[in-house]
Amino acid sequence: MELNGSYILPASTQKIWEMLMNPDTLAKVTPGISRLELESENVYKAIAEVKIGPVSGKFEGKAEVLHPVAAESFTLNVHQNSKIGNVSAHIKMHLKAVSEHETELSFAGKAHMSGLLARTGNRVMSGVANTLTKQFFQNFEDELAAKAEV
Amino acid sequence: MSNKFIGKSVKRVEDKRFITGKGRYTDDIVLPGMTYAYILRSPYAHARIRSIDYSAAEAMQGVVTIMTGEEVGHYGVPCGWQVNFKNGDIMKEPPHPLLVKDKVRHVGDAVAMVVAETRELAQDAAEAIIIDYEVLSAITDASKAVLPGAPLVHDDVPNNICFDWEIGNPKAEVDEAMASAHHVTSLDFVNQRLSPNAMEPRSYIGQYDNVYDKYTLYTSTQNPHLIRLLMCAFVLGLPEHKVRVVGPDVGGGFGSKIYHYTEEALVTLASKKIGRPVKWTETRSEAFQTDAHGRDHVTHAEMGFDAQGNIVGLRIKTFANLGAYLSTFGTAVPTYLHGTLLQGLYTTPKIHLDMTCVFTHTTAVDAYRGAGRPEATFLLERLVDLAALEMGVDPAELRLKNFIPAFDGVTQPGYQTNVALQYDSGNYHSVLERGLEMLGYENFRKEQAEAAKTNKILGVGFSTYIEACGIAPSAVVGSLGARAGLYEVGQVRVQPTGKISVFTGAHSHGQGHETTFAQVVADRLGIPMEDVDIIHGDSDTVAFGMGTYGSRSLAVGGSAIVKSLDKIIEKGAKIAAHKLECSADDIEFKDGKFTVKGTDKSLSFGDIALTAYVPHVYPANLEPGLDFSSFYDPTNFTYPFGCHIAVVEIDKETGFTRVKRFIAVDDVGNVINPMIVDGQIHGGLAQGIGQALFEGVEFDENGQITNGSYMDYTMPRADDLPMFELDRQVTPCPHNPLGVKGAGEAGCIGSTPAVVNAVIDALWSAGHKVKDVRMPMTPERVWKAMQPA
Repeated sequence: MELNGSYILPASTQKIWEMLMNPDTLAKVTPGISRLELESENVYKAIAEVKIGPVSGKFEGKAEVLHPVAAESFTLNVHQNSKIGNVSAHIKMHLKAVSEHETELSFAGKAHMSGLLARTGNRVMSGVANTLTKQFFQNFEDELAAKAEV
Repeated sequence: MSNKFIGKSVKRVEDKRFITGKGRYTDDIVLPGMTYAYILRSPYAHARIRSIDYSAAEAMQGVVTIMTGEEVGHYGVPCGWQVNFKNGDIMKEPPHPLLVKDKVRHVGDAVAMVVAETRELAQDAAEAIIIDYEVLSAITDASKAVLPGAPLVHDDVPNNICFDWEIGNPKAEVDEAMASAHHVTSLDFVNQRLSPNAMEPRSYIGQYDNVYDKYTLYTSTQNPHLIRLLMCAFVLGLPEHKVRVVGPDVGGGFGSKIYHYTEEALVTLASKKIGRPVKWTETRSEAFQTDAHGRDHVTHAEMGFDAQGNIVGLRIKTFANLGAYLSTFGTAVPTYLHGTLLQGLYTTPKIHLDMTCVFTHTTAVDAYRGAGRPEATFLLERLVDLAALEMGVDPAELRLKNFIPAFDGVTQPGYQTNVALQYDSGNYHSVLERGLEMLGYENFRKEQAEAAKTNKILGVGFSTYIEACGIAPSAVVGSLGARAGLYEVGQVRVQPTGKISVFTGAHSHGQGHETTFAQVVADRLGIPMEDVDIIHGDSDTVAFGMGTYGSRSLAVGGSAIVKSLDKIIEKGAKIAAHKLECSADDIEFKDGKFTVKGTDKSLSFGDIALTAYVPHVYPANLEPGLDFSSFYDPTNFTYPFGCHIAVVEIDKETGFTRVKRFIAVDDVGNVINPMIVDGQIHGGLAQGIGQALFEGVEFDENGQITNGSYMDYTMPRADDLPMFELDRQVTPCPHNPLGVKGAGEAGCIGSTPAVVNAVIDALWSAGHKVKDVRMPMTPERVWKAMQPA
């Protein structure tokens, strides 16, 4: 499944970068993630619970940040296992300053699913991915707003 | 003999229990102390197993035992048909282990089995098993799996080729015929993979009795004796007389329940290991992954014509997908059940099929309703219809010109094809002519021309098919590599009171044997149908049998019963002659009475039955009792044929295709129960139309099935189908006592190409001269075919 998109977030690239590299913030904004622990440098253990449409399950696995270039780009490698199938995703993330207080965050990559996840509801799966992405950016914005209030 | 039941639409006696929910299927059986199995399956199409850790699972509540490939991986299920390479080498036959221990080869490959007190506990424990997989790249397309560098399914099978094979005339002769042809129609197409979707999922119970040292396997199978033979002799090495296999009520098979599946042997082994019955029933999701799939051919085919429109040659190259492992008949389907049908109804003088059978990282492929014959019919009928469009001639005329002339197989000899078979009897022109008449062909073409100017275009598609049924003469199939005989067994036991118990090796899983067979017996003996009980599906009560597939039950199984009935009547006549003090030659048997010819002296069938069991006044040198068992091995296949015509309407704006009319004129030989034959045809048509418009297993690039549920895999529904317009013609089979040919697969064999041809015809009528729309012909695909390239 192809994953592509971009979103403009109201903060500087440096600020966005810091938030993306902070496991606590990431755990907060990523839909379904209940825990994100730093295992070693750039490697996180992730536990997620997702329920959207036909997809419902508890996922456990790793997320790895590869080739980080501060405030510019990194690649996210995710491998999640669950009873209903496994997901592997390889996503390139780019940060681009639109203005001093705005950053365009774009992503492009692929996700591979196996098991029941692959077999069932495939035609609605890209819709599920879109919903999750939208939620992610909405949460990110909320988090930015919350931080600004503090 | 009487004539009260044969040819009548007697209501099915088994339906009372089925439609009131009282059928007794394997999953309905609950045995004391029963345990439940769950099978942990691979989520990957191709992966090496680095490790399996089931320590946590083993300690979980309710878990009785866990089995892995370490314990049972040395057992494997066999293939029942050996096909050799063109050069004579034996086919590649890699093992198909009950549970894999090294690497998994398709999504759903079985890795471990957990047996627990309930199904839910077994599933919970299975999900706690930790398997470390090294995921490898997978290949699902047979035509690509043979290319250099493709991932190997079995490390010791080069290029994933199980075998290559050819049939027909020498290749050079066919090449020459094609080179001299006035017109050659060529077509590349995919006959897509189908999931069988029997209503009842597979279910098995293993039960080991340590008092009698006896195993019982309850199984949703189409052939209990064959399963016993395979499991005892080729899988577990168990003594056959200590194994009972029961196939109780079975909810549909369509071929998918012929094969010996690994889970049958697993529950048997597990039951012995733990000393308790073990039940396993698959989920629908597992059915999509593990019930043997059907079809899956990638084909390039060419048909050559002379200037007058006579077919001069047929040349085909096909890659057939066998899946990751060889299923029981997997190798026979694309070869002997397919290549041998490429004569079709035509006098084609030169035919050559070059077939390559290939392993891929997919579910095993085997017979699915029609098995090889739908693929042959699809190929021929697509080519003929396309050729007519290309040459600007009428598709019906083109067929009539090339049909084999009528022959009855009695006063005229059978028709020897160029692809090994000899057809028994046929009258091909008349089924097409009758179809055209029902269609109102001339009128239709006028209607079509009008519709071409609108947004709802019309098309008509023809398909004239032949199939080889009544499987099969043992010597013939033996010479072709079958590892079993394909006769059938029929035992008729007359009880002392004249009631009849018939034991048949054929197995009913929707076909209505309990009715059809009883109609035959009741008429032959001149007794009421209620006096006849048809018993099947239990290896301890039925002497032997080869089961039900290949439209064989009545032609082969019914003939075995008739042989036993003949013996009963012959013996009955001797008993009657003794009692009536005449010669047995003077006795005639009619309407349930043994009568001295030309007199009114007679004894009823019941009198004779009682005398046989209470032999006080009885011929010397004649054994008491009235109970005969017969083996019937047919001398040839049977060859039903027919004409299917589809009329479709396509919405030009959306590409949505509706089957507006469907006409089927079938010749299945003599008919015992017209209602049951109609039902078989209806069901087959729905499946065949389903392939054309709706169905198809799809894989992603990693070998994942992406439509393995009823949310994603489209099955035909009643509202997708028109009222079928059926008619029949009868050309009796000349070589079996009932003159029957078989009707189980006909609907599914003829219908698919009729629908595709109708869509292509509609597209051409609107100026879109495409050769093919890939099946299933979804609105998107049809719409795309109408857009400028």
